[in-house]
Amino acid sequence: MDRLACADLPAFPLQILLAREETWRGLPAAVVEEDRAQGRVLWVNERARRAGVLPGHRYAHALSLTAELRAGVVSPGEIDRTSKRIADALRALTPNVEPYAGDAGAFFLDGSGLSGLFPSASAWGKAIRASLAREGFASAVAVGFTRFGAYAVAKRGGKKRLVVLRDAEAERRAARTVPLDRLGLAPELRDFLAKLGVRTVGDYAALPPGGLALRFGEDASRLHAIATGALWDPLRPEAPEEPLEARIVLDDHPEGDSSRLLFILKSALGPLFEGLAARGEALAALAMELVLERVPSQSHWIEPAEPTLDPGVLLRLLHLRLESSPPRAAVREVRLRAVSVRARAEQLDLFHRMQRRDPRAAAEAIAQLRADLGNDAVQRAVLRDGHLPEAQFGWEPLASVPAPKPRPAEERVLVRRLHARPLPLGEEPRGTPEGGPYVVSGGWWRNEVVREYAFVETDEGACLWLYFDRRRGRWFLQGVVE
Amino acid sequence: MSSTRYAALTCKSHFSFLEGASHPDELVLAAHELGVPAIALTDRDGVYGVVRAHSRAREFGGVHFIVGAEMSVDDGTRVFLLAQDREGYRNLCRLVTKGRLRSPKGESEVSWDEVAAHAPGLLALWGGERSALLGEPDPAPIAGTLRDAFGDRLYALLARHRRAEEVPSERLLRARAARYGLPLVASNEVLYHTRARRPLQDVLTCIRHGVTLSNAGRRTKPNAEHDLKSPVAMAALFADDPAALERTLEVAARCTFSLAEIRYRYPLEKLPKGMTSTEWLRHLTYEGAKARYPNGVPKRTQAQIEKELALIEELDYGGYFLTMHEIVRFCEDQGILCQGRGSAANSVVCYCLRITAVDPVRMELLFERFLSRERAEPPDIDLDIEHERREEVIQDVYRRHGRTHAAMVANVIRYRPRSAVRDVGKALGIEEVALDRLAKVLGYSEIRREDLVQAGLDPRVREHELLLVLANEILEHPRHLSIHPGGFLLGDEPVHDLVPIENGAMEDRTVIQWDKYDIEELGLFKVDLLGLGALTLIDRALRLVERHRGESIEMATIPPDDPPTYQMCCNADTVGVFQIESRAQMSMLPRLRPRTFYDLVVQVSIVRPGPITGGMVHPYLRRRNGEEVVTYPHESLRPVLAKTLGVPLFQEQVMKLAVVAADYTPGEADQLRRDMAAWRSKGRIEKHHERLVSRMVEKGIAREFADAVFEQIRGFGEYGFPESHAASFALIAYVTAYLKCHYLPEFTCAILNAQPMGFYSPATIVEDAKRHGLVVRPIEVASSGWDCSLEPDLSLRMGLRYVKGLAEGDALRLIEAREARPFDGTGDLVRRARLARDDLERLAEAGALDALEAGAGGAPRSRRDALWQVRGLARAHVPDALALEPIDAAPAFAPLAPFDTILWDYRSSAHSTRGHPLEPLRDELRAKGLPDARAVASMPNGKRVRFAGLVICRQRPETASGVVFMTLEDETGFVNVVLWSKVFDRDQLLARTKSFLGVTGRLQVEGTVVHLVAEELWEPETSRMPARTESHDFR
Repeated sequence: MDRLACADLPAFPLQILLAREETWRGLPAAVVEEDRAQGRVLWVNERARRAGVLPGHRYAHALSLTAELRAGVVSPGEIDRTSKRIADALRALTPNVEPYAGDAGAFFLDGSGLSGLFPSASAWGKAIRASLAREGFASAVAVGFTRFGAYAVAKRGGKKRLVVLRDAEAERRAARTVPLDRLGLAPELRDFLAKLGVRTVGDYAALPPGGLALRFGEDASRLHAIATGALWDPLRPEAPEEPLEARIVLDDHPEGDSSRLLFILKSALGPLFEGLAARGEALAALAMELVLERVPSQSHWIEPAEPTLDPGVLLRLLHLRLESSPPRAAVREVRLRAVSVRARAEQLDLFHRMQRRDPRAAAEAIAQLRADLGNDAVQRAVLRDGHLPEAQFGWEPLASVPAPKPRPAEERVLVRRLHARPLPLGEEPRGTPEGGPYVVSGGWWRNEVVREYAFVETDEGACLWLYFDRRRGRWFLQGVVE
Repeated sequence: MSSTRYAALTCKSHFSFLEGASHPDELVLAAHELGVPAIALTDRDGVYGVVRAHSRAREFGGVHFIVGAEMSVDDGTRVFLLAQDREGYRNLCRLVTKGRLRSPKGESEVSWDEVAAHAPGLLALWGGERSALLGEPDPAPIAGTLRDAFGDRLYALLARHRRAEEVPSERLLRARAARYGLPLVASNEVLYHTRARRPLQDVLTCIRHGVTLSNAGRRTKPNAEHDLKSPVAMAALFADDPAALERTLEVAARCTFSLAEIRYRYPLEKLPKGMTSTEWLRHLTYEGAKARYPNGVPKRTQAQIEKELALIEELDYGGYFLTMHEIVRFCEDQGILCQGRGSAANSVVCYCLRITAVDPVRMELLFERFLSRERAEPPDIDLDIEHERREEVIQDVYRRHGRTHAAMVANVIRYRPRSAVRDVGKALGIEEVALDRLAKVLGYSEIRREDLVQAGLDPRVREHELLLVLANEILEHPRHLSIHPGGFLLGDEPVHDLVPIENGAMEDRTVIQWDKYDIEELGLFKVDLLGLGALTLIDRALRLVERHRGESIEMATIPPDDPPTYQMCCNADTVGVFQIESRAQMSMLPRLRPRTFYDLVVQVSIVRPGPITGGMVHPYLRRRNGEEVVTYPHESLRPVLAKTLGVPLFQEQVMKLAVVAADYTPGEADQLRRDMAAWRSKGRIEKHHERLVSRMVEKGIAREFADAVFEQIRGFGEYGFPESHAASFALIAYVTAYLKCHYLPEFTCAILNAQPMGFYSPATIVEDAKRHGLVVRPIEVASSGWDCSLEPDLSLRMGLRYVKGLAEGDALRLIEAREARPFDGTGDLVRRARLARDDLERLAEAGALDALEAGAGGAPRSRRDALWQVRGLARAHVPDALALEPIDAAPAFAPLAPFDTILWDYRSSAHSTRGHPLEPLRDELRAKGLPDARAVASMPNGKRVRFAGLVICRQRPETASGVVFMTLEDETGFVNVVLWSKVFDRDQLLARTKSFLGVTGRLQVEGTVVHLVAEELWEPETSRMPARTESHDFR
């Protein structure tokens, strides 16, 4: 079967959105450029269109047309990820699949050599549509002979969702009737051609190629050559990217000892890192799933201080993690999945000079602490912009160790120590008040706070930092002054 | 000893934009109520609010008001300055002006040396968290400078807002004050008159910094201690240092300056040798009278002239009239059309000086409305100037008076419902999309719960509830300062000695810190120079008449009471006619049937919220048509209401009514007028309700009439016309109507060139002109100018200005190349006009190149061919003509169908001379049984009709209880559609969004006035969708 198919997923971003937000299906829905009032509407479903919402409207205007409108952003990353997922699914029907770079949502499939698998081109086309439907996408499929011909016919729209073209001439004839605005041309070219009354592929093919090149540049000229058959445009299948995974099955000898398990893991990490190096990538994180006997599996996420190609670093982290949270039962199977990023050149630099203070060593130490005590274990205090004492600082995870900047020694100052939570006091505190009351109030828009602060020196000589909470009508100890 | 009296010396009102949260009025009132004997207004780098505070303090008598300001210094610190005397106030104004004029709009900065140089008459309070006394590591040099300049008038300012960090600051302040020998004075920073305004102050702070309340951090104040405190509270707060508090009274006692001391003199024009201003004014008036009354000045008029001149002399207003005369003379010399509006039209002196154009004696207008001894306030002359040339007049005023003696009056931009919900909502962290939805449903008054519900917000949700409360609270708060459209303050002494001047947003504009109400309050003179498109239209039309017909006409020489002109008005054939062209005016014209100039004055005034909400329209029409007997609610009102058949229609009548029927004194009646004018200040009108109605009832006037009069007063508060103003506008209306009636080509050409102006889009004006038989020719590069023009046969040639996106400079380059030598083809045009590709394509799409290279038999070629050709030529970029030939033979593109031709016209130039968008669809529409507008107009009352047309106007007036009016247009005319609120609510999607709309309804025919009362809206089904027209949508 020397054929080629094009599968078109119309309004692809909208389909992605509705797949993500399943409850929106019966409602007017739109893909917007940005989730803000002035964000532009990019795609709309039929219900939105019936309510008067059209691509190009502002989101706020669209909402004023129908309060029921549901809208969301579909990022290029999400489109890319979904394209990859669909391409993977289509590879079950042919090894050569090309997601069309010029039009997200269009896929080319190579049918050569598949006659043994599919009795006819029509059966193959049906299988393609069924596969896409399983993925949750509506599609139009054309089985033809050239990339352009199949693409144009698939994009034509209409009620017939599967078109199998008899021969190359039939494909050419069918393609010539396809409206140009279906082909994802550059908007400027598309609009200009529409003004000229050039509406179909056939009209376009009738234009003089030199005149097109002069007026619209090489791309338009190339498209003309392809549309008229003057230029052959081969399929450019994309090789599938295998995830870097490893699986160790211990069915016969389930392993309950952490040290031995670590040794087993070491043997699996070697090939994993070799695979990463071959791709020019480094390991950013390792997902490890331990399948246990009789009890549910245990999952771990190990993240080195920085992307690495050093198995030793990872082994140390695995060691700490297994020590702090050993398997709850004997391990029947280990599944490892590497999450990678492109490796930096310096990671491979053997002569990388070490600084006197080694920030990498500090980062590794922190990574070890995280591996040992959990990912949120290492934090640092930061100043925050707030009026309440507890709102004037906060904690945040420490990603790296900054170089210290010691300040010159200053005059000794009083230190206030805060309780993690203000302590409620049973009665009005006794002692000598030192000034006040000082009032801090706010938060009226959410939970109003009115505190009257005072410093009180006790008979024992301690200086307490107190406040009276007006709303709650009681005293609290915020901290002490030393 | 503890003091129970103190003066609040550091108070900021909401004129410290987006910082203070109370009106100056509120601060003074609160001081009065709390028993604070003196209060100083010290807004940030300005005295914006002092006039309001001053007049409020005068009302109460017991509050001593002090003028001051907080000055921003160039080291980032602040100091408070208070005016002790007139010299001090002058220095304060000068210092603020210095700081403001050198800084970008909204900012100010002065140096310490400048502060010191302006010290005479000022008193300085130095302290607070943003002061150099606390903030600088070593403030000794500054302290030395200030002490040398201010001597014993320099105080250290001690503030306590119950903040823990103030304790060490105060320790430092006391130490430094002792070191520099400064007496301590206790005064807190007051930002609101009551603690209840604290949330609003937080919100204002968030708006200023562009943050939400949740992430504002320490930008907001930490507590609610910035209120105006009672003497007892302050005494408690400073119980440990009563002397510092008592010293506030000493400071207040040293500040004796009052704004009442401002003695203003109007600048004198240059006078002929040996003449006083009174003599010169008398001379000019009688010279003017000779011209106005060529057959001799009537006795009554002469008596009026004498009466006015005597009063002008007595009140010493001669200079003002001479200035206005100078401006008018400048306009005449420069050929700029201008005309006085407003109450000046009541003055025969203004008429003789050519400031106004309506003879007040003949019109029996009331001079006292303009100027009266009792009122003792300067006259207010507003001058309308053709809008395109107003800037020339403004620059002339600057030139003659100098920038030091002339500055433009401010216009305070205040929060309105839409801006209020957007800004407050953002501060509350509500989604922009939701705020946008809410803003779209709001009217012009307060924000209601129903509005929130309509926008899909739940007023029970805390944020939304706060939005409702705070957005209403922020209404009327100033947001920033803008420039009044044309108000000038002119002074005999430099203006910056009266009030600070700052930069306007527009280049070369300076603006004072007071608005027109402040000017009026202080009795200062203001000159208003306003732009009016209709005068531009008249000027252009008159010039065209002279050029093309050799007839020299002036506004003054246009025949009065021209029957064809009035007939045209009676037929509501008034597209483009000033003031009487709107849908509502058009439906009133056939009912009122104006036959005289005074009828037009009434016509201009009657379609206004005042008479409409007062229920005066129908009684007037019935009486005019003889369907109702003319009666008066009380015999004493006959002289007041006789001119308008017993129904009050004008502002003057309402004032006279108050005097005659409710025993208002002239002063009270004038206050009523002011309260009507200040309609946005809630409650100012309401206070007259009981007084007016009960007094009228006591006099035996029916309560219903009394209530109706009050309703009308309230309506006038929105938009009401004084009779004199209506007369000035009616004159322009008459002139434009006359021009339309007798000089349609010139009128149409002028109005198209004066756009944007008026009620209708250029497309509708063109269609209307075509229906009147005017030949309108399309834009054409071989003959169009930038403006529209008239051809020798008086057909109208559309101008290049109507090609969308084509800049004037590019068009002029094309014209210049054409004038050098006519284009011999498209290639020649491309080469010589040097237009960008986009411009060439715009011209091709507009059909402006069609005739340049006519096809076989001289027929214009297709625009598509032109488009293809210019794209190729522009891309080739070859300077040589031979090389401009396209590479391939040009393909044959299908010519545009008539439908597409019109569509392209609208897309490229927003109008079509070749046809109405519905013309090519008429057969289709007829086949569906849909009549055209002309047919609808002749159908009988009550007939059920289906009609389809293009929407050119949507209107939902607040006076119409939710009724929506739409005007639909086709190639034969208009159909006015009325949508009751239930129909609109049901079909609002269609009503709001569709340009081509179908209506099923029943006809309501009253004489020649036809309305289609809609029962259902629908989308017409045609083979093609017609071009989208521009609709003017109003509330």
